[in-house]
Amino acid sequence: MALPNQQTVEYPSFKLVIVGDGGTGKTTFVKRHLTGEFEKKYEPTIGVEVHPLDFFTNCGKIRFYCWDTAGQEKFGGLRDDTSNIHGQCAIIMFDVTARLTYKNVPTWHRDLCRVCENIPIVLCGNKVDVKNRQVKAKQVTFHRKKNLQYYEISAKSNYNFEKPFLYLARKLAGDPNLHFVESPALAPPEVQIDLAAQQQHEAELAAAASQPLPDDDDEAFD
Amino acid sequence: MASTTEPTTLKREEEEEEDSKPAADDEDTGAQVAPIVKLQEVAVTTGEENEDVLLDLKSKLYRFDKEGNQWKERGVGTVKLLKHKETGKVRLVMRQNKTLKICANHLVLPTMTVQEHQGNDKSCVWHAADFADGELKEETFCIRFASVENCKAFKDKIEEITESLAKDSGESEEAKTAASLIEKLSVEGKDKEEKKEAEEAPLASEGKKDDDEKQEEKSGDGK
Repeated sequence: MALPNQQTVEYPSFKLVIVGDGGTGKTTFVKRHLTGEFEKKYEPTIGVEVHPLDFFTNCGKIRFYCWDTAGQEKFGGLRDDTSNIHGQCAIIMFDVTARLTYKNVPTWHRDLCRVCENIPIVLCGNKVDVKNRQVKAKQVTFHRKKNLQYYEISAKSNYNFEKPFLYLARKLAGDPNLHFVESPALAPPEVQIDLAAQQQHEAELAAAASQPLPDDDDEAFD
Repeated sequence: MASTTEPTTLKREEEEEEDSKPAADDEDTGAQVAPIVKLQEVAVTTGEENEDVLLDLKSKLYRFDKEGNQWKERGVGTVKLLKHKETGKVRLVMRQNKTLKICANHLVLPTMTVQEHQGNDKSCVWHAADFADGELKEETFCIRFASVENCKAFKDKIEEITESLAKDSGESEEAKTAASLIEKLSVEGKDKEEKKEAEEAPLASEGKKDDDEKQEEKSGDGK
């Protein structure tokens, strides 16, 4: 399938459409995978943003072109003129701390199926790290009715954050044993550092060292 | 906002039994769909095959965003110090948990200095030309460990490596002069002084370096 404004790659690539209500964490989830950062600030996506996201698997490198769509209707999500996005797979995101976002899942699903038939779809309940959930795991039943895969995720804590991509990759390749592997760590080239650059780095380092970490608590690593 | 919780609903929610995990976490409830690609299994290369692991610790890595003047998360995973079996070069490689993607990949050069972060003894900072994305980028990193011990182990290891690199790369003229000076002094000096000089001389040169750094810190601190 031709992808506008995207360079093509010599390895398998898939067009992934991500939909769901505004504020459910679609952009944050994509950003988390792209750079590792966790963006707390909410800036509604306008229209659609496309980000290539690569994964290394035991069957080689693959790429998802993530079509991160606007959740807020006024900013033109799938329901608007961008409704002709033919994805090869999809993620429907809702927020387990906001019941309405789950109630709207059927609408997102219907809109999606209007343009994409028979594609693998993952339903993601995001923000499961939050203590007071409005939608409990056992209350999530839509995926059973419509034969979707469901994952509870947290873009904040990284809980299950790789699962949606892993599931979709397995379905698209028809290989239930596909898994992520270490991406090759290429030898970094030698660098020549001159004294002036070094001094600048040290000054920057000193300034950075005085800034606190965004989440400087004692949470454990898994 | 989607993330606001209504206090009125909290009580009812809490009364419900805690059942936050689905019965089968990885149960496949998805529809049968025809695969669209056929992929062949390939040999996996980590790129670390010819290296010895000097250190391997769980950690969380951050990069400094200069524009926003803030630290941003880069990944949670395992940081490794790897020494090449033939070239002897040491590099730092960190991979993200689960996806195993690279969050940091750079050489440990003799000029690399790991410094304190805000007096926090579980985290520390340094600068490097990083190759994680396959192109060199100047990055300022902060790494946080689960324990003070791990952070110290990391700092000590880096220090040990950079010191030995500095030695290997041939002593500078200055160092040579200093060394010969010490030698002379110790030959000429009395027993007591001999020991004292030998200890003090290398410290003196380090002290000079510290002063330079402090000056730079001051100049870089202007807000």
